[in-house]
Amino acid sequence: MTTMRRRGTYLRHAALVGVSAIMLVPFYWVLKTAVTNENIYAYPPRLLPERPHLFNFVDVWYFIPFPRYLLNSVIVSAIVVACNIAFNAMAGYALTKNFPGKRAVLLLFLSCMLIPFQATIIPAYLITSKLGLLNSYVGLAFPLLSTIVCIFVFKAAFEAVPHSLVDAARIDGLSEWRIIVRVLMPLSKAAIATNVVLAFIWSWNAFLWPLIITREPTMQTLPLGLARFLSYLEDTTGALYAFAVMVLAPSIFVFLMAQREFIRGLTSGATKG
Amino acid sequence: MPQWLVNRWTIVPLLFSALVLAWNGYVAINDGGLIEGRVVDGIGRPVPDATVILFDRSFVMHNERQRSRTDEAGRFRFTGNDNHSLQLEAQTAGLGRSERREVRLWFRAQNVTLADPLRFTGRLP
Amino acid sequence: MMPATGEAAGRQDGWWQRKRTRDLALIACFLLPSLTVFFLYRVLPLGWNVLLSVQYWSPLKPARWAGLDHYEEMLLYDDVFWQSLTNTLIFIGAAPFAIALALGIALLVNSDLKGAAVYRSILFLSYPLMTVAVGIIWRWMYDERGGIINFALRESGLITKPIPFLQSFDWALPSVIVAEVWQVLGFYMIIILTGLQSIPQHLYEAASIDGAPRRAQFWRITLPMLKPSLFLCAVVGILNSFTSFDLVYIMTNGGPGHATELLITYIYKSGFGQTKFDYAAALTVVQFILLLALTYLANRAAGGNAGSLEHR
Repeated sequence: MTTMRRRGTYLRHAALVGVSAIMLVPFYWVLKTAVTNENIYAYPPRLLPERPHLFNFVDVWYFIPFPRYLLNSVIVSAIVVACNIAFNAMAGYALTKNFPGKRAVLLLFLSCMLIPFQATIIPAYLITSKLGLLNSYVGLAFPLLSTIVCIFVFKAAFEAVPHSLVDAARIDGLSEWRIIVRVLMPLSKAAIATNVVLAFIWSWNAFLWPLIITREPTMQTLPLGLARFLSYLEDTTGALYAFAVMVLAPSIFVFLMAQREFIRGLTSGATKG
Repeated sequence: MPQWLVNRWTIVPLLFSALVLAWNGYVAINDGGLIEGRVVDGIGRPVPDATVILFDRSFVMHNERQRSRTDEAGRFRFTGNDNHSLQLEAQTAGLGRSERREVRLWFRAQNVTLADPLRFTGRLP
Repeated sequence: MMPATGEAAGRQDGWWQRKRTRDLALIACFLLPSLTVFFLYRVLPLGWNVLLSVQYWSPLKPARWAGLDHYEEMLLYDDVFWQSLTNTLIFIGAAPFAIALALGIALLVNSDLKGAAVYRSILFLSYPLMTVAVGIIWRWMYDERGGIINFALRESGLITKPIPFLQSFDWALPSVIVAEVWQVLGFYMIIILTGLQSIPQHLYEAASIDGAPRRAQFWRITLPMLKPSLFLCAVVGILNSFTSFDLVYIMTNGGPGHATELLITYIYKSGFGQTKFDYAAALTVVQFILLLALTYLANRAAGGNAGSLEHR
């Protein structure tokens, strides 16, 4: 009985190791290409790089120019994350109260989840253009400034705070805004973390919207820089793949730091509309 | 130890900022744009009074940037380099051209002293 | 008069009214930023799409009524539309297989295996990545000369000449689909895992006591209890055919000819390449109707109101 169970466990491990290996192959391959010294198009490709060097990363840094795109991405993501926390917390708090029309508002939010971003690109472009926000950081950040999933995450977190605390604060005379900041938010650290991670990942990876909105290369974000680099410089070095590695590093890093929050955010609601 | 100090959301960004500052400090100290090296012939004897050419990289091509001459001990130095990917080549009337050595730096204008001297294939008389 | 202690008093008209309206005003203020964003970038665009689709509109000229001309042109004369629709449907059709695969993996990971968390992290790692970078990586892996896929196939003797995956009419779309499945598999797995872990254990214990074999337990207990998770995965799979713009743009830009043209890439090209905003709006309306129809069908297949869009 126990030997059969152990065999079953070995089989499971074997299967999982196999699947994990397949999932990790692309990472290894791009990493290997980014540090190769030889012609990457030579056949047969070597499984281990011959004389690996890290200077492709230096080239990418100066020639792309990586810092400019990085700065743009960081600024846009910072705006999105900050506004997400503020707006979603406010909306989540409002939804914990009862007010006439609450059902209509809830219905509105839920139905907005069904409208994917891709179904709105043409008019969204026209609206942004009418607002004069084309090719600007605010324009890049606008559609992502609030997400419904995160509103519900905050709502759930606020509802989990015991009423006695909120009532005590209200009796002490705190205004509603102060209640949120002083009482609810410190107790909703998990919701804030989830919000930060989700908002960061979605804004960092956004490609279609910056593609539509930016008009100059200096305002482009990292994904656009990567795509633009693809179209020229098909050289035989691994510079493009070094660029890809440098672009992926922050996402992987944030993911490893905040796995639990990310997963919790994704499973507590549906997808990003 | 207060709770907010020991969790990953403070330690990791602080560590990261410390690394970035340290790196920038190192760069600031070492970015004089100084390139030094030696030129030797096929059997290792220093080559005096050879012309050394510095090429630097502009996206796909390497362009000649500076010229210098080696002293009696075969040493040369360049100042004012502001690129991160260079090539060096030495020439002399007697030995023709040396190898073209590729020098890649970690940051622009990094001070570097060539560990391996530039070699000619021939020998000085 | 009424005591001013703030207890639940009766109709203190003047003071009460003002506080209530103050509360409502505050709630409205709190809701305003989010509602503005959603109004400007979800609701309004949806309506404007419909409006644009029945007009002749171009940036500098006044709009003219077009009726159903655009739809007529699309449905009767536009081969690229039908091609992209077919491609989108094929893309969506791959989702059930991917979900089944994810179900298998989730079942493997769900046991209290040592290191299950590590496996889970590795398998989920591909989801938060930038799709542009994923596209570049897979494009390189499919390369004829330096790509590892052709290399592995040739070394193992399955083929003798390299297959130009992304340049061939037959292989381009499946190649893109493989890349998309690679990226989204972790997400499916996480959703299904969460669903698996919320199935109460006593159901299985009761079934074992009753002598039900493992296989029956799976079909009778596990699958029905997973319906909300599977429905969620199906919705994501449907949406992925719309969000895979990044992958297609990087890997093939519509493919050899239009072999990998999806509805979303065709909308982008019509709207921002050819500046035919009105036609692109009509395409978007059709795409949205398709999305709603498929989601409704998935909802029906999952047994009614299984769409747990609001958390439990």
